[in-house]
Amino acid sequence: MTNPLSIERVEPSDAELVRRVRAGDSSAYGALVSRYRDRLGRYAVHMIGDREDAEEALQDSFVRAYRSLQRCDDPARFGAWLYGILVNRCRTTGARAARRRRMFVHDANALNGATHSDQPDRVEWADTVQRAVARLAPEYREAFLLKHVEDLEYEEMADLTGAGISALKMRVKRAREQLQRFLTEAEHV
Amino acid sequence: MFEREDDIVERVASELRRPVAIDAALDARVMREIALDAAPTAGPRRIWPWLAAAATLAALLVARPWSHVSPESAFQFVLVAPQASSVALVGDFNDWDPARAPMQTAHGAGVWATVVHLAPGRYRYAFLVNGVEWRADPAAPKSIDDEFGPPSSVVTVGGKGS
Repeated sequence: MTNPLSIERVEPSDAELVRRVRAGDSSAYGALVSRYRDRLGRYAVHMIGDREDAEEALQDSFVRAYRSLQRCDDPARFGAWLYGILVNRCRTTGARAARRRRMFVHDANALNGATHSDQPDRVEWADTVQRAVARLAPEYREAFLLKHVEDLEYEEMADLTGAGISALKMRVKRAREQLQRFLTEAEHV
Repeated sequence: MFEREDDIVERVASELRRPVAIDAALDARVMREIALDAAPTAGPRRIWPWLAAAATLAALLVARPWSHVSPESAFQFVLVAPQASSVALVGDFNDWDPARAPMQTAHGAGVWATVVHLAPGRYRYAFLVNGVEWRADPAAPKSIDDEFGPPSSVVTVGGKGS
């Protein structure tokens, strides 16, 4: 089974790139940034809700990871380690962002090229989903995204978040229930 | 209409799994920031990178000069060009000879790199992609000679305290 926290490539591996960076070749880090940018960016955008804040959190996470690279115990699992940094960073940003009005992503490119004119239902659904996800409590949203969007196992989620597995299962369950309710409400507005 | 929770969750997850467009310039911002970290620990053969990375489906290069450059400092040029089969750095410093500064793609993901040693001065340079395509650095100052020749950029390497 493919590990959802790693990206399969012929070469070079994450471990090899980490080794090169540690040996002083900082440019090798560019390959790691390029490799993980979009996937981690997706999590940050959905978790934080604000595009600008999400990109700031993502950039900061990459920089923090670089500065702490000597503490990455298993370079082959660089992706999982980096993910943990981003999850924590999103929590900090999320706490700040919660004090502001949320912005939602209306990005045609993010919708696989859909435009408002040719796929109005598609855009409306995307907007509805984003609003429903944004209404979840941060710990519920985090658990839902990691489980159902990033397809992580509960053990991996526990490693990333520091929460217990039973607590995570509860959060996912509540998130599912609340999403169903929010979306049902949206249908009747 | 009644819809099972599992169905709703799957529809939501499916929507959220769609790609989100992240600004490709984020790569360059990260690399610039870490380049500032890397320099103090690089030792005597210090590499003051011109770092960049902004990969769209086509290749882009972003580079930045650094201050506080000593004479004969080494500069690392990095080009993210996923579609390229070869890239060479050519400029005033190597008589525009592609054979003297071929870039290597040891890092995968289309990251090409090479190091050149530059004394203080002003140099024009460009990237020769696949042996035929001249490409200026879109993030660096353009050479004023561009109008009559292939696209090129300018790097000014300062002396002490510049």
